[in-house]
Amino acid sequence: MSERIWDKFLTERDKAVFAASGYGAQGAWGERPALLVIDVNYAFCGERPTPILESIKKWRTSCGEDAWEAIPVIQRLIGTCRERAIPVIYTTGQRRADNWDSGSWSWKNNRRSEAPKVDGSNRDGNAIMDEIAPGPRDLVALKQKPSGFFGTPLQSWLQLLGCDSVIVTGTTTSGCIRATVLDAFSMNYRVTVVEDGCFDRAQASHAINLCDMNAKYANVLHSEEVLDYLRGVPQGLFDLPSGSGMTQNAAE
Amino acid sequence: MTPDRFEDHCWKDAVPQDLIDLYAPYARETFVGPKPALLCIDFYNIVYRGGAKPPLEIQDEHPNTCGMYAHASIEPTKKLIAAARMAGVPIFYCTQDFRPMNRPAGVGSTKRQKVAWKKEDFDIYEPLAPQEGDVVIYKQRASIFQGTPIISHLNYLGVQSLIVCGESTSGCVRASCVDAYSNGFHVSLVEECTFDRHELIHKINLFDLHHKYVDVMHLDEVVQHLGSFSEGKVAAE
Repeated sequence: MSERIWDKFLTERDKAVFAASGYGAQGAWGERPALLVIDVNYAFCGERPTPILESIKKWRTSCGEDAWEAIPVIQRLIGTCRERAIPVIYTTGQRRADNWDSGSWSWKNNRRSEAPKVDGSNRDGNAIMDEIAPGPRDLVALKQKPSGFFGTPLQSWLQLLGCDSVIVTGTTTSGCIRATVLDAFSMNYRVTVVEDGCFDRAQASHAINLCDMNAKYANVLHSEEVLDYLRGVPQGLFDLPSGSGMTQNAAE
Repeated sequence: MTPDRFEDHCWKDAVPQDLIDLYAPYARETFVGPKPALLCIDFYNIVYRGGAKPPLEIQDEHPNTCGMYAHASIEPTKKLIAAARMAGVPIFYCTQDFRPMNRPAGVGSTKRQKVAWKKEDFDIYEPLAPQEGDVVIYKQRASIFQGTPIISHLNYLGVQSLIVCGESTSGCVRASCVDAYSNGFHVSLVEECTFDRHELIHKINLFDLHHKYVDVMHLDEVVQHLGSFSEGKVAAE
């Protein structure tokens, strides 16, 4: 494969070790995928593309402009999945107004006491971005910890749908993406991470975490390759929610 | 089985008519789901000890025995396991975890007064013993799902539904069935291959499970269904 996003961060020894140890092999695709859109909400993206150091003044978790580069990619993946009736499953955070259930998060960030709902736009940071709003037949899992599986019905939904694989997009590459990918791997789902459909607030973390996941847990692929695969998934594989009675924006 | 035979089970003589009527909205067709695996819950030695007698008569000498109820299930369970094997259905057993240095004192599957158990007490009862290719799960609590890798194994094999048998109906079977349901599996629980220490608790727990979480089915229905699978080409592939 041509140069990867992480190559410039690796030492010569690292490259030699990866080449010699057998990691980074490309695993097979599954036959029944679900698309996961992890935490693409206002707290991680801001309301508009803004340089990250500016954006984090308001949204301390914002990934700035990198988020807005990934959003059109995620839109295309969601569109293709909906066309083929492939499950689209979002996650986002859920928190009490008084932040009590912040728990362990508050141990590692000294801006944690800031209220989750922020002024100005009056947007809830946990609201999923309008640009990729969940549709009536999509699913939204609400979570409190990094992994989309932890304390959520995600595994039972994948089981009900008969999924054997997940295609993972969203944020942050080093945090919730990685945690979700690890749990999916541990449960023997085939995992694909969409390189240009994921983002992080730290460039080095983004690249190195993609490198790690590609080495051990997932195929890290460009969205063009993933879209090609999704277009080949047969119609009618899944017993999706009918969407009947749902509002247009399922997250509302 | 069709909805009109929904209550055609062993609890009929134990459950009053008003309770049956109260649960009428749960009636439905029962079936074995697609791509099944067989779960054999806790067929370990201690529940068979003391022979085919009422548990109350022998439990002082043989703690935790299910006596006559355990023994009545042996032949049906042999038939069920043989049918699953013929059909190529993956077979999972579970028993208590006796691996060394792996369990703090007080961690168990019930709150019963403690007995000084030995590893062989929890070996699988020889007439139903696992064979090459079966998988044995070691657990520390009631449910086969709690703290074990079974979800990973089931996903790896492409399993989409479960056939369950074992003991005790009120304990580990119930806990495992509820967890299986919560994890999105269709569950068929085989009546003749499931038992407890007393008929009443067995029947009431089967009644609960059948109405809310699983399809309690008769051995002959399940064996007939497994017999319809051709040449073992099921979930294992």
